[in-house]
Amino acid sequence: MALKLEVRGIGKDFLIPVIDSVSFRVEAGEFVCLLGPNGCGKTTLLRIVGGIEPASRGAVLLDGLPVQADRRHQRHVGIVFQEDRLLPWLSLRGNVTLVLRPLGLDAAEREARAARYLKLAGLQGFEDYYPGRVSGGMRQRAAIARALAIEPDVLLMDEPFGALDAQNRRIMQQEVRRIWSETRRTILFVTHSIEEAVAIGTTLIMLSARPARIRELIPNDGRHERGKLVDDLNAMIMEEVQRQQGDTS
Amino acid sequence: MRRYRDWAGRLHLPTLAALVVVLAGWTLLARRYGAFVLPSPWSIVTGLVEIVRSGEIWGHAGASLGRIAAGFGSAVAVSLLMGLGAFVSRTARGIVQDVLAILNSTSVFVWIVVSLVWFGLSNWAPIFTTFMITLPVVASTLVEGVASVDRRLLEMGDVYRLSGPQKFTAIVIPSTLPYLVAGMKVGFGLALKVSVVAEIFGVTSGIGYAMNYSREILATRMVFVWALVMILIMVATDKLLFDPVNRRLTRWR
Repeated sequence: MALKLEVRGIGKDFLIPVIDSVSFRVEAGEFVCLLGPNGCGKTTLLRIVGGIEPASRGAVLLDGLPVQADRRHQRHVGIVFQEDRLLPWLSLRGNVTLVLRPLGLDAAEREARAARYLKLAGLQGFEDYYPGRVSGGMRQRAAIARALAIEPDVLLMDEPFGALDAQNRRIMQQEVRRIWSETRRTILFVTHSIEEAVAIGTTLIMLSARPARIRELIPNDGRHERGKLVDDLNAMIMEEVQRQQGDTS
Repeated sequence: MRRYRDWAGRLHLPTLAALVVVLAGWTLLARRYGAFVLPSPWSIVTGLVEIVRSGEIWGHAGASLGRIAAGFGSAVAVSLLMGLGAFVSRTARGIVQDVLAILNSTSVFVWIVVSLVWFGLSNWAPIFTTFMITLPVVASTLVEGVASVDRRLLEMGDVYRLSGPQKFTAIVIPSTLPYLVAGMKVGFGLALKVSVVAEIFGVTSGIGYAMNYSREILATRMVFVWALVMILIMVATDKLLFDPVNRRLTRWR
């Protein structure tokens, strides 16, 4: 089931403050894109939400229950990383069934689920291939299938198409959008591409330069004209980048 | 037919030509200096046939391989424990690496002499020497393999809440096995060379003993024959054991 996600006053310091204080709420089934200048802490924020990294301050709540790093939370969080992070010695099918083991499903159920989500990700017929034998786009599809197969309450994606060429990137954006509309998972998607965010997100969150705060939260429900939205967001990013450079000099 | 072509493909023509030249030169030198100094290539081949017919080869090769199995086998077992320690704790990894560096720089002869002092003239001298010499080779490649396990994959395991044993079997073992096999391949070659040297002292069986005995009774030809036996064992284990295992392990590449 998709869940409501609440980020409440999250901050993170690595010697210097990286994330100042970020708060937002994501309604169940939303597709949220997290934007911001390079190095502003988007990935760090995603890792905190996913419970991989502890926050210095604040809390992340999934339907009211806190997510904590290094603590096994009840909710399932699926993560698609910048790299596919598939195990090269397992077939695509093997990679998916592996992460289903901790869920306590029996072998037949694991196989069936892996087949279902690999098919959803457009990998039918490639289940028995090793990751090294398929293209980068297909590996990233397999990583998405793996994240979906645990039927996560929230799906986190960290620039998942960063390593793909422009053409594959567009195809994968449409694919993710389709998968989202078929499964209605809550998705938090980090990207540095404004065009990508505007094309696929239902809510856009623009972070400020480091230390990150929320600069703008924009519902992308079609009321804004797309071209204008892209231009506005680009202007915002330029401002933030200039501010960041002004800070460091 | 396919098999034949595989073999033909693997034989390197220039190498064959060089081999012919070496054998011809060897034969000429053997004629010049006589069988006591340098037996001819052909007499070595017939010598090999003789020890195979008499069955002598099995006794001595068996004795050597038995000692290698004990010494090298325990070195592999201890290496696995060290590798596990290095995986579990960073401190343990540091200690293991330092100990291995010291062992690695100790001469074969040190261990032979020490084991003669400790165990006297017995099977234990070659076994212990083999153990001490192969341990750092196998263990250091394995520890290197453990250190090179991709942290990002382990993090993926954490995200999907794999248990410790699940992460170990799905991520750690497959990424370190190629290192273990590579270490074992080098280690086994070393074990054969080292145990044979240690067999010169105190035992009455084994390839090293047979070689030294042949020298004492002035049968130079048999020294060469036993050297050939060693080479054949080495090539056979590489081609029939380690290479196929390696191919199987890296099938996904």
